[in-house]
Amino acid sequence: MDPYSPEGELINIHTAFHAGAYQQVLDFDTSSFSATNALPTQVLKLRSQIALGQASEVASSLAKESTPDLVAVRLLAENALGKDVLEEVKKLVEKEGQENLTVQIIGGILLEKAGETESALAVLSKHEGSLDAVALIVQIHLRQNRADLAAKEAQRARKWAQDSLLVNLAESWVGMREGGEKYQSAFYVFEELAQTAQSQSSHSLVAQAVSELHLGRLPEAEAALQQAIALNDNNADTIANSIVLNTLLGKKDEVQKLKAQLEGVDKEHRVLADWQEKKEEFNKAAQKYTPKFEVAA
Amino acid sequence: MSSPNMLTKFESKSSRAKGIAFHPKRPWILVSLHSSTIQLWDYRMGTLIDRFEEHDGPVRGIDFHKTQPLFVSGGDDYKIKVWSYQTRRCLFTLNGHLDYVRTVFFHHELPWILSSSDDQTIRIWNWQNLCTMTGHNHYTMCAQFHPKDDLIVSASLDQSVRVWDISGLRKKHSAPTSTSFEDQMARSNQNQADMFGNTDAVVKFVLEGHDRGVNWVAFHPTLPLIVSAGDDRLVKLWRMSETKAWEVDTCRGHFQNASACLFHPHQDLILSVGEDKTIRVWDLNRRTSVQSFKRENDRFWVIAAHPEINLFAAGHDNGVMVFKLERERPASAVYQNNLFHITKEKHVRSYDFQKNIESPSMLSLKKLGSAWMPPRTLSYNPAERSILVISPADGGTYELISLPRDASGAVEPTDTKRGSGNSAVFVARNRFAVFSQSNQQIDIKDLSNATTKTIKPPHGTTDIYFGGTGNLLIITPTSVVLYDIQAKKNISELAVNGVKYVVWSSDGLHVALLSKHNVTIATKNLEQVSTLHETIRIKSATWDDAGVLLYSTLNHIKYSLMNGDNGIVRTLEHTVYLVKVKGRNVYCLDRAAKPKVLQIDPTEYRFKLALVKRNYDEMLNIIKTSSLVGQSIISYLQKKGYPEIALQFVQDPQTRFELAIECGNLDVAVEMAKQLDRPKLWQRLSSEALAHGNHQVVEMTYQKLRNFDKLSFLYLSTGDQEKLKRMAKIAEHRGDMTARFQNALYLGDVQNRIEMFQEIDLYPLAYATAKAHGLEEQAQSILEASGFTEDQINIPSAGAAVTPPRPIVPTHKANWPTRAASSTVFEKALLGEVEGTSIEEPAANGYDDEDLLGDEAPAAAASGLGGDEEDDVGGWDMGDEGEADAEDDFVEVEGDEAGAGSSEADLWARNSPLAADHVAAGSFETAMQLLNRQIGAVNFAPLEGRFEEIYQASRTFLPATPNMPALVNYVRRTVNETDSRKILPIIPQDLESILAVLQTGKSAMVKNQLQDGVNVFKKVLHLLIINVVASQAELSEAKKAITTAAQYTLAMSIELSRRALVQGATDISGLPEDTRKRALELSAYFTVPELEGTHRSLPLSAAMNFANKNRQLNTALNFANALLDRTGNAKLKETARKIKTIAERNPADAIEIDFDQFADFEICAASYTPIYQGSASAACPYDGTKYHGKYKGTICKICEVCQIGAPASGLRLVG
Repeated sequence: MDPYSPEGELINIHTAFHAGAYQQVLDFDTSSFSATNALPTQVLKLRSQIALGQASEVASSLAKESTPDLVAVRLLAENALGKDVLEEVKKLVEKEGQENLTVQIIGGILLEKAGETESALAVLSKHEGSLDAVALIVQIHLRQNRADLAAKEAQRARKWAQDSLLVNLAESWVGMREGGEKYQSAFYVFEELAQTAQSQSSHSLVAQAVSELHLGRLPEAEAALQQAIALNDNNADTIANSIVLNTLLGKKDEVQKLKAQLEGVDKEHRVLADWQEKKEEFNKAAQKYTPKFEVAA
Repeated sequence: MSSPNMLTKFESKSSRAKGIAFHPKRPWILVSLHSSTIQLWDYRMGTLIDRFEEHDGPVRGIDFHKTQPLFVSGGDDYKIKVWSYQTRRCLFTLNGHLDYVRTVFFHHELPWILSSSDDQTIRIWNWQNLCTMTGHNHYTMCAQFHPKDDLIVSASLDQSVRVWDISGLRKKHSAPTSTSFEDQMARSNQNQADMFGNTDAVVKFVLEGHDRGVNWVAFHPTLPLIVSAGDDRLVKLWRMSETKAWEVDTCRGHFQNASACLFHPHQDLILSVGEDKTIRVWDLNRRTSVQSFKRENDRFWVIAAHPEINLFAAGHDNGVMVFKLERERPASAVYQNNLFHITKEKHVRSYDFQKNIESPSMLSLKKLGSAWMPPRTLSYNPAERSILVISPADGGTYELISLPRDASGAVEPTDTKRGSGNSAVFVARNRFAVFSQSNQQIDIKDLSNATTKTIKPPHGTTDIYFGGTGNLLIITPTSVVLYDIQAKKNISELAVNGVKYVVWSSDGLHVALLSKHNVTIATKNLEQVSTLHETIRIKSATWDDAGVLLYSTLNHIKYSLMNGDNGIVRTLEHTVYLVKVKGRNVYCLDRAAKPKVLQIDPTEYRFKLALVKRNYDEMLNIIKTSSLVGQSIISYLQKKGYPEIALQFVQDPQTRFELAIECGNLDVAVEMAKQLDRPKLWQRLSSEALAHGNHQVVEMTYQKLRNFDKLSFLYLSTGDQEKLKRMAKIAEHRGDMTARFQNALYLGDVQNRIEMFQEIDLYPLAYATAKAHGLEEQAQSILEASGFTEDQINIPSAGAAVTPPRPIVPTHKANWPTRAASSTVFEKALLGEVEGTSIEEPAANGYDDEDLLGDEAPAAAASGLGGDEEDDVGGWDMGDEGEADAEDDFVEVEGDEAGAGSSEADLWARNSPLAADHVAAGSFETAMQLLNRQIGAVNFAPLEGRFEEIYQASRTFLPATPNMPALVNYVRRTVNETDSRKILPIIPQDLESILAVLQTGKSAMVKNQLQDGVNVFKKVLHLLIINVVASQAELSEAKKAITTAAQYTLAMSIELSRRALVQGATDISGLPEDTRKRALELSAYFTVPELEGTHRSLPLSAAMNFANKNRQLNTALNFANALLDRTGNAKLKETARKIKTIAERNPADAIEIDFDQFADFEICAASYTPIYQGSASAACPYDGTKYHGKYKGTICKICEVCQIGAPASGLRLVG
């Protein structure tokens, strides 16, 4: 039986994980779980630890592991620490990627992060009925700006997985690109996660806030973001979206403050890089014009 | 069309019922039977109240008097009898008919009875036969009074229906007000008899159309219509005017003789019954069959309608049935402070509990289902502001309808989604469940009405209800099942029979399951909390915020606490359907679907609730503030095991004593015992006090009871030697030797004992005692006194004498540790010693295990507090947590055909010709190109912030898969657009906010903060350069804002430069002449830019004053005149007038300045000099500021972005 199915014992921890409620995942009492679920549980917990910024602990604790799942997690941790693990990942995927779901998923993540989208999709396509993999594929398609492929993927999953959380999430991600009524549907899904105790996290609250922002409901988005900040004021995504919100609200000073904060939290956040890049682009473009300020003598 | 489910309310079994009458007020019907009996039934309770048996043979006619406790009957014994149902006797009998009496009716106001008989006559009676109407030439089967006019209609087997005018009879019998000659003449003239000598009643119309005998005829309650039923199996409708009457139409359908018919009292319907065993309902306007109901074996003979409420009764071969045509329960739903309901006109309305107002109709559901069937249920979705309505028509249909934003009248809904189903409820904001009884299936549907999931409910399911978070409650005839939609499984099941309605508490923790006679309260997990039984039908229920269930029966509002305690809150005159309770107000819908507010007194149940929750403060408050006394509450408290609380209510000493004993409150008991001073009470008190270990009270009671032995023993055991001695003394005084001996024994007082034995001549014992204690001398003297010697006495050796042990601790000085009394907390609360509210009791006080609710109370209280603020969002949780099983035939993901696509940002640039959209798209280069082309922008540095802002505002970061970077999404201003060719980005700082900024700039000017003002206006210009507006109207507003900002900037810049020149001085006489000239010119130029309204007077007044001070009187005069023209400010006018007066005396300037107030010119924004017409000039393509020709090609000083005089196509802000 699929341990992630509603009847399975992993359902709750899995939900919390995908809602980004990492601390809840770590605090989860898994002692009663059956032995077969021990490894998946461990993987979820380790990934949560990485997401919480404890990658170095994870990396060192797994240094000697040879179980392919855990090797994959170690690579993920090392990647988070800034190491180049691409070669190792490729090797691992080649060896274990046929069967091992964890390897597929983490391999997919790392390959995609390294820009090897094609190989990421290739390894992920080997999954057998894993919604995690489906969700990741959807996300990769969205990163490719292929909302059409993403929608197709989600639709296919909807047929066999019905109303599962991940299907709803994946659809919502796609919906955030499609817009219109889909914004509202996405909002429902995100809000549901964000307002349920087990799955409330800055992750889920930010998702809710983003959907509200797209719906043009700025005060609501602000409330959700503040809730997220109250939970964790050091989350880069929270800050990045707060910057967007405050910009829309016209609060310039707040934006400057948040930018400084974001730099403190995650110097390499792509937003900062992106903005820096744009700044340079602006200067380059502006230089093409030669304004004359005074009348020539 | 047939409906197999007739809403039968009551059925009786008897012989053939020939006549029926409803009581106008009470739930009673009279049934006259073929067997000669008349029955009086309470159809609500289903009980036979009385039987009247004086007729001989069948009784066919029966009627209640409208106001008096009377009824009339007519039978085959030719007799009409008038009865009192109070005295249960026949009052009198009217004889006169010569054959069977068919019908009898009271007049609606006159003391008249109308009868029809097989003797072919119709008669009117008071205590005697007033009038006999002849004309029918066969049996008259039925005759009825018109409800208002002086008319009678009759039906006969002669195939005719006749309408009679009886106004003559009324005139004759109404008391004459005057007896003038004319009156008498008029009457005698009128009294000219017809050919039968009969003038009081004349035939007005004869209606012919039936081909057989006519069995029944009836008037319409308000319209000039008549309906008749005959043996030709037809029901005919007739209309009459003042002068004629004619047949309108025929209702065909009965396939046997039609026995009786009538008009529906309120609706446009006709009801008829026949010997074909059917009841048929017809549409009055279309004469088509609406409904029909068939009985297996019984022919119908008669039908009657209740005059006010929606009830009918039909008599058949084996009794009577009382039924409704439609359900009266109005479909409704409550959300927070609003009630949504469907009125009798099938309009959707809402009602605000806080404001107590009903909205106008929002929607008309006329077209939903069948015209005659009201919708059954309504489910409301607050998120989507839509409703789900179930109509029983066509085997059950549901419709999903969006409510309009504001109630603007009964509009037909647009964009509805429908399908078939018997129940439909929202289970999440974007999901609803539809249950279809016929194929036993539940579909979960999304808002587009597409099925997302299908559930097979348990066998025999009859209904579904919302089941809390992601769940459904499935109702079967014998149980309720809580079903998890997500997991597709039963969570729990509760065996309850025949549940009809489900009511959730506002905190969603409890649910009340209502069946016909039972209320079952269960937790949200369907664990039964309590259940109660009512003998009368239960109609509805609602929860108090504190967790008390209020429910309505046919005639009461009652309450039930969680523990099943229940009681009556108030009585009801009419059935109502509760929807909400708030404080002392109960909100409900009546049978006409009108919202009503009923007042209740919640004290009793609040008190009981506080008791259960041990909320002592609340109880205290209730005790102090309300008059909650009475035996019922005391016995309730006592029964429930709270004697100590009951104690607070009681004055009567006897009861107080009993209660005090029961709760162990000895102080009160002692006090009461002292008051009453009865041995029995002291007795009880002593044993109770002993049980407590309170020996002081015990001592007192023994004293009171003069129980010396016990007292002595008590002193012994407490070690109270002093008192023991006193007891010994007392015993001595009383001469009670045994007691004296005992006390001496307790005291170890040997001497006393010996003396005592001697006193009562028990020398042997005295001797033995003395001897045993080694008192040889005394023993010897005793011996001597009694004349014995030592040899004669043989004493068994008994070892050493025992002395009573000495007490170690003087326990008599204080009480022993006593048993704790159970009242402590409450009493302390009463005394104001305890501050907190619900304090957990220490375990010792006796009632910790007795109520199950103990655990729930705090939770309930807590949620009660949070109550209304938090809306029901939690309840909407769909619980999408989980993944379904992977199916085997899983489709392999195809490899994608192509690589990356283009991002939404690229689309924006493609979709829009506006610079702002290109900036948002991140395509800065093209944005700059656009700006350059449109407005000749070349200096972009001041716009960097704006570029950044727009770019930043349009990208959000959605965290998706863990360990992956967030997904970038693109914020749109076209929120509802999905066509990729039309989507456009959001641009921060819309026109509205910019106009607000503009306003702050103006006020800076008024406040003389010119530099701030310049900065603000420049900011406005920079915001508007890259922006979008929605319409042409907004565009012209934006353009106006640009010009305004530019002109203000120019004006303030000129003034700033003047101030810089003179360094703030007002008197410039000390400065060089050319500086003075320039200052005066600048002051004058300040007045040139176009400022708005009153702002124009600021530069004018400044220039006027400045010129006046510097003796430029001509200039000052000009400005003064201009100012007088423009300003409305009294103070300025005053100054202007003064200056004008002064200046007019000598209108001359000291210094000639370059300012011609009569010429039309503009000021160059670079040099601040006039540009007269005809001289070369250039303008800024963006803000329109003018410059001398030589500045062409440089950057505009005002906007700082555009090149003066550059070729430009004009700014675009609208796509």
